[in-house]
Amino acid sequence: MICGSSSRNPSNSHPSRLSRKSRKSRPLDMNLNTDMTVNRVTDEIWEIPISEKPGMLVPARIYATRDILQAMDSGVFDQVTNVACLPGICRYALCMPDGHWGYGFPIGGVAAFDVERGVISPGGVGYDINCGMRLIRTDLTLVDVQPHLEKLMTELFRKVPAGVGASGFVRLSREEFCRVMTHGARWCVEQGYGWHRDLARMEEGGCIEGADPSIVTDHAIQRGINQLGTLGSGNHYLEVQVVSNERIFDQATAAALGITGHDQIVVMVHCGSRGFGHQVASDYLKVFEKAMRRYGITVKDQQLACAPFRSPEGQDYFSAMNCAANTAFANRQVITHQIREAFATVFGQPAEALGMELVYDVAHNIAKVERYAEGELVVHRKGATRAFGPGSLELPEAFRQTGQPVICGGSMETGSYLLVGTDRAVRDTFGSTMHGSGRTMSRAQAKRTVRGAELQQQMKQRGILVKAVSMSGLAEEAGLAYKDISKVVESVDRAGIAKKVLELRPIGNIKG
Amino acid sequence: MAWTFRFLEDIALADIGFEAEGESVEEMFRGATQALIESMANPSTVSGGWERVIERSDVDPAALLFEWLSEVVYWKDAAGVVFREASLALTREGEVWLLRTCLIGAPVNYQTQELHADVKGVTKHLYELKQTGDCWKVRVVLDV
Repeated sequence: MICGSSSRNPSNSHPSRLSRKSRKSRPLDMNLNTDMTVNRVTDEIWEIPISEKPGMLVPARIYATRDILQAMDSGVFDQVTNVACLPGICRYALCMPDGHWGYGFPIGGVAAFDVERGVISPGGVGYDINCGMRLIRTDLTLVDVQPHLEKLMTELFRKVPAGVGASGFVRLSREEFCRVMTHGARWCVEQGYGWHRDLARMEEGGCIEGADPSIVTDHAIQRGINQLGTLGSGNHYLEVQVVSNERIFDQATAAALGITGHDQIVVMVHCGSRGFGHQVASDYLKVFEKAMRRYGITVKDQQLACAPFRSPEGQDYFSAMNCAANTAFANRQVITHQIREAFATVFGQPAEALGMELVYDVAHNIAKVERYAEGELVVHRKGATRAFGPGSLELPEAFRQTGQPVICGGSMETGSYLLVGTDRAVRDTFGSTMHGSGRTMSRAQAKRTVRGAELQQQMKQRGILVKAVSMSGLAEEAGLAYKDISKVVESVDRAGIAKKVLELRPIGNIKG
Repeated sequence: MAWTFRFLEDIALADIGFEAEGESVEEMFRGATQALIESMANPSTVSGGWERVIERSDVDPAALLFEWLSEVVYWKDAAGVVFREASLALTREGEVWLLRTCLIGAPVNYQTQELHADVKGVTKHLYELKQTGDCWKVRVVLDV
């Protein structure tokens, strides 16, 4: 029998019910949103020992500066220690500095499980399977784009559907959609929605093996079949950004990745597998609730529902998840095709002539089998990015010198970052690092604080043109609702689990 | 009106939480359905034209409500619609609760409709249905 912990669920406590106080046993004078003992390992690594919660099999480690740690909500501490109770977990349950309350796992959570003894959990991947980031470079500069920005954003808004219930221009038969599930971005290139060389600049070449459409439900197919090439809503976006010389921290690496500065224009995309992936997650959470009883697994939170990785249910979910992951790669590839078309229309030149090469595409909601010191592990990253360092054999030749690009999206008002992975991340955090800035304010509070139309106007005055489907959705994504991404980036850079390369400043944003 | 709902402030930092209550299980279902519909769009801006009759049953009203709300989310994507209303009737036959609904909406149109969040799924996080005196109450967190 595989056992987690059978104790009653403290994580189901409402976050705000927990008092904010320090414990005498804490080595430093810190004020945290938890009663647990949190020990300093380094200035950027904090550890919760297994003695802090019944059933913990490994310690929990949080990567954060002292300031970021003190600002973290109580859900992070509860949830990362719940994850530490899951069967077969190896070394540590981890949370990145952009971590905050999620479902089951915290956002920013990383956990690796032995493939033979451990579990796989949809809660460790998230509803939006292979939600991820993509960055496209151009040869254009701010001077070239500024006079045409309104026209460009209008064209992008027209070509890339966003918001609730949006459907894309690609019409697929069920059979063809199954090919998208198995071939991912490769299918897009075969259909003319991209260039063959794009594939070398995506995690897993934009196609994860082991995707089996036969175990995906009709519901999932019906939810996703018309959504290829759509952004969605929430924190998903398409952003036109500028790279100035003074915000490049590592010129050589930036140049190797195709970024030369001088107010260069790039385009960032943040989205995932849309309704298809959401339904796969919902379907398998139900399957796993039943499977847990069969395998005698108890968890501290229903959203941590899991099954042994090698069980039929575990393998089915892994395969369905890979279908959704491939669909997400395809979704971002079709969006890239539309972005290239929009630029070509506005600037009167083919996208190739505009230098619109892919910098990288990387997932931040996924589970993957990877090899580490412990052997083969199924690594869950939920709001965390793979960050393989230079020399990693899994990386294509283009990134063997630089390390794998890590794309971290900030709020639409502030900025985003391009980093690269490190050998230390591979050693210490199962090759993982942060994914974004992380929310600090609820959606409801953000809407009370700022109105969407006013925010849009203010941002225009600051040189950021926003096109949004929903004004309330726009208000929810205001910069004030997020952590300062520069501080989050600084903490992973100092911890050595990613190396910052450059900062990107928004000038145009499309939101659902 | 024998039902109400309110969106919860601090329960889901990146998502949407709501609490719905009613004088009966059926009224509570109405409140929760309305909260979900309003999470996706302002229903007063949504015309009709799209309809779907849905029937579901379960011995557990909490499981039935969860399935029903998940079904509404499903149709949002599968049919590309947002919703104006859902008329529903909940009856009990022996141990089984039977839900009969007619979901009414229209294709998404961001020029004429006030759109809100694209709900990804109904979660089990903090999901709780309970009776307090004559009042039935449910707490729901939506992933958006």
